[in-house]
Amino acid sequence: MSPMKLCVPGDKLCSTDDCIPGTGVYMRHGYIFSSLAGYVLKKNEGEELPVISVVRETETQLLPDVGAIVTCKVTSINPRFAKVHILYVGSTPLKDRFRGTIRKEDVRATEKDKVETYKSFRPGDIVLAKVISLGDVQSNYLLTTAENELGVVVAHSEAGAQMVPINWCEMQCPRTHTKEFRKVARVQPEYLHA
Amino acid sequence: MESCLKVKVGAVLLPGDVFTFIKTDTISLTESLKEEKIICGPGLQRNGDDVVVCKSGVLRHKNPNLYWVDSQQRRYVPVKGESVIGIVTTKSGDVFKVDVGGSEQASLSYLAFEGATKRNRPNVQVGDLVYAQFLIANKDMEPELVCIDSSGRANGLGVFGAGGLLFKGSLGLVRRLLMPQNEILKDLEKLYPCELVLGMNGRLWVRAATVQKTLIVANLLESSENMSAQQRRTLFKRVADGNL
Repeated sequence: MSPMKLCVPGDKLCSTDDCIPGTGVYMRHGYIFSSLAGYVLKKNEGEELPVISVVRETETQLLPDVGAIVTCKVTSINPRFAKVHILYVGSTPLKDRFRGTIRKEDVRATEKDKVETYKSFRPGDIVLAKVISLGDVQSNYLLTTAENELGVVVAHSEAGAQMVPINWCEMQCPRTHTKEFRKVARVQPEYLHA
Repeated sequence: MESCLKVKVGAVLLPGDVFTFIKTDTISLTESLKEEKIICGPGLQRNGDDVVVCKSGVLRHKNPNLYWVDSQQRRYVPVKGESVIGIVTTKSGDVFKVDVGGSEQASLSYLAFEGATKRNRPNVQVGDLVYAQFLIANKDMEPELVCIDSSGRANGLGVFGAGGLLFKGSLGLVRRLLMPQNEILKDLEKLYPCELVLGMNGRLWVRAATVQKTLIVANLLESSENMSAQQRRTLFKRVADGNL
């Protein structure tokens, strides 16, 4: 591929007669301008005109979308919500960590007011969750675990060993045999390794 | 199995001491194998098949099968359900910040007092002493206190403290004073009438009829931690006779 051209927001790329606008560009007065700082990408999609778009990296970043299943790590908990870092969207790892919030009401589907965050998540747990909202500028992604298949997948006990799930709300440490409360995910059998 | 723990009751243990339970090698043909269950209390932890000591102290035993380590400690770690004496440090928004002697300040909501509503705010100032109970206390979240019990009544909790003396003892001293039939308090009752508030965070508050009597009671309690029963009785007798 020929070396890609760099551009900054406001650069005039071409006229609307030459290309169809893609992502990262906008149209004004019959010309296509860049709205991102990055590389110009022209693709022939099979239609009459090539599609022109501006991307930050050569591969397109996968962003969590509403309804996507994400894998995240709990960073802090609070009586009202838990803060998480989103690590994977589906099965693709993300380059940057996005921040997410799981509110107390979104942890379970039943008995929402009796949920205690301390008995559902702890800092350091790996959780499967679903995105319900992208949030605005200041707030993070809003996530939910209110389904049987969502919840804590990997958790470590206070003694440091990885715990084994017993039922949907308890996990047990194999070393000290103490039980701890978590909102456990029911992982589908085909995803479990032997 | 249990015999190796029973032998050590009353002995001083250090963190890292391990009690292994040898299973198969020496099975006696004459005694029958019994299934024994041991309950590990504070200071003991199960590690696979062994019991490991986590805190230094004296091993204690209570029938039928409860073992724990009695340790001396002055630093308090918040535990849910314990009643403590706290000092109000700031008022911010709907919440008071209270110092309980732990690693973090605990929060106490305006509405967690008896008869408190959004219009009827409780009369609590910065620097007041409160006797409160932990609602949330774990290593991952900020501790939270309340001054009411689950039915909404104060039950002895709340603001107190005009005219008394607050001093600090060890956690073991407070636990001994809180035992149902302990002798220190019985001897103290005979001495002077006084008001006493004991917080599980090692803080004690005393008020007696005069300032001098308050100071005497405070000193007696502090020193009775390290004295044997006999020494304590002679000291109390000296005070009662007025010879201090």
